[in-house]
Amino acid sequence: MPNVTYIEPNGNQREIDVPAGWSVMQSAMSNGVEGIEAECGGSCACATCHCYIEGDLAAAVPAAAENELAMLDNVVAERKANSRLCCQIKMTPELAGLVVRFPDAQS
Amino acid sequence: MSFSFDPYSPAVDADPFPFYKTLRDEHPCFWSKEANMWVLSRYADIVTALNDWQTFSSAKGNLMTELPNRAGATLGTTDPPRHDRLRGLVQHAFMKRNLESLVDPIKQIARETAAPLAGQKQFDFVTDFAAKFTVRVLWAALGLPLGDEATVREKAVLMVQSDPATRSKGPEHIAAYQWMQDYAAGVIAERRKNPQNDLISHFSMAEIDGDRLDEREVLLTTTTLIMAGVESLGGFMGMFAYNMANEHDARRQCVANPELLADAIEESLRFNTSAQRFRRCLTKDHELHGQKMKEGDFVCLAYGSGNRDERQYPNPDVYDLGRKPKGHLGFGGSVHACLGTTIARLSVKAAFDEFHKVVPEYRRVQEQLPWIPSSTFRSPLRLELARA
Repeated sequence: MPNVTYIEPNGNQREIDVPAGWSVMQSAMSNGVEGIEAECGGSCACATCHCYIEGDLAAAVPAAAENELAMLDNVVAERKANSRLCCQIKMTPELAGLVVRFPDAQS
Repeated sequence: MSFSFDPYSPAVDADPFPFYKTLRDEHPCFWSKEANMWVLSRYADIVTALNDWQTFSSAKGNLMTELPNRAGATLGTTDPPRHDRLRGLVQHAFMKRNLESLVDPIKQIARETAAPLAGQKQFDFVTDFAAKFTVRVLWAALGLPLGDEATVREKAVLMVQSDPATRSKGPEHIAAYQWMQDYAAGVIAERRKNPQNDLISHFSMAEIDGDRLDEREVLLTTTTLIMAGVESLGGFMGMFAYNMANEHDARRQCVANPELLADAIEESLRFNTSAQRFRRCLTKDHELHGQKMKEGDFVCLAYGSGNRDERQYPNPDVYDLGRKPKGHLGFGGSVHACLGTTIARLSVKAAFDEFHKVVPEYRRVQEQLPWIPSSTFRSPLRLELARA
């Protein structure tokens, strides 16, 4: 199973195996990762699963669609070039080793 | 005897959990001929299906026993990308940051609803507390006109039921659904004439890419919001009271420290959520656990079973106040996760905060409970409680 490293707001790192087809948000929620709220459940409708994609694999992540780019306007932490809503990133074998960092605040 | 799973049977209404255990262990992808659909019962399989909406579509309906002409016109019965656009129109009204103004009114409603129980030795929690509290909260949240609350609740509870004999909706259920549509149509017409700064006014006049929403979308989404608000919130409160009445230690801890109610609510959502089963429809052939499912087959996602899956939660059949369960399916999950999660959590907490001040010690009176006859939901129709 491909793995993702989640970095919680306090710096704690959690490496988790994510079944292919699950969103990066889903696995964080199912495993109780800190720093994510995902209020809407994954409809790209709330901007509370904001994360920063770190490291070399950032380029391998499919680009954000228009609705995600628009929703990113609503994040409360700083929006950066590597900001994404992780409900919109589906896990695939190519993304094994992905590193995502959660901001200090989601709402 | 060969195993069967009939979500219409009163035995499943009363206690689905032994059936779920057999499903998970022996038939993780099971064809229920009584329900005419596949049943997925393991946590990981349900979550995978929820994430794979391209294969497991909601567009043919999400209720186990769907209401006529509803599929395709509500949030729960639409797939992305249309779903996400519709959800974007209503999500903001249900976000934590936008519900702040309702916190004090909801606490006030809780106080006023609990107060008359002060002198009572025994009462029906569903009628005497949950129903009254729920309609007032929903009316405050949606700004519905006062006067019809009792009838609206009665119809909402009826329309989610199904007939165990015919395994379909009966005429009384369809009539309740029709009544609710007429009621919603009246509210929508009123709001269009006199727009307010509220959800139904905004939604009934909203546009996506310059197009007004389809009239059926406006009507049935509003109908569903009212139904879900009244029935789901009330149903869950019945389950929560049932757990608190059974779990004396957990209740005493919550009475002593009401902050623990938040944990008790999460564990109840996992332990025996009222939203037990929803369905999807396959858009292509799909193989799972050696079973070949066909395009067009319906698939039941048994949330109530995934929440008791020992592969996800150790000692799943124990109600554990300290568990703090993560990723439970008590509100469903993924794109179709319940819209009302935040208002439900804050309402139930406020309700029991006040209820426990008036009735701190209580026990169940009925040995057997009358469970709602429903293939989708599970909650008691009446819950007699006595002061202990």
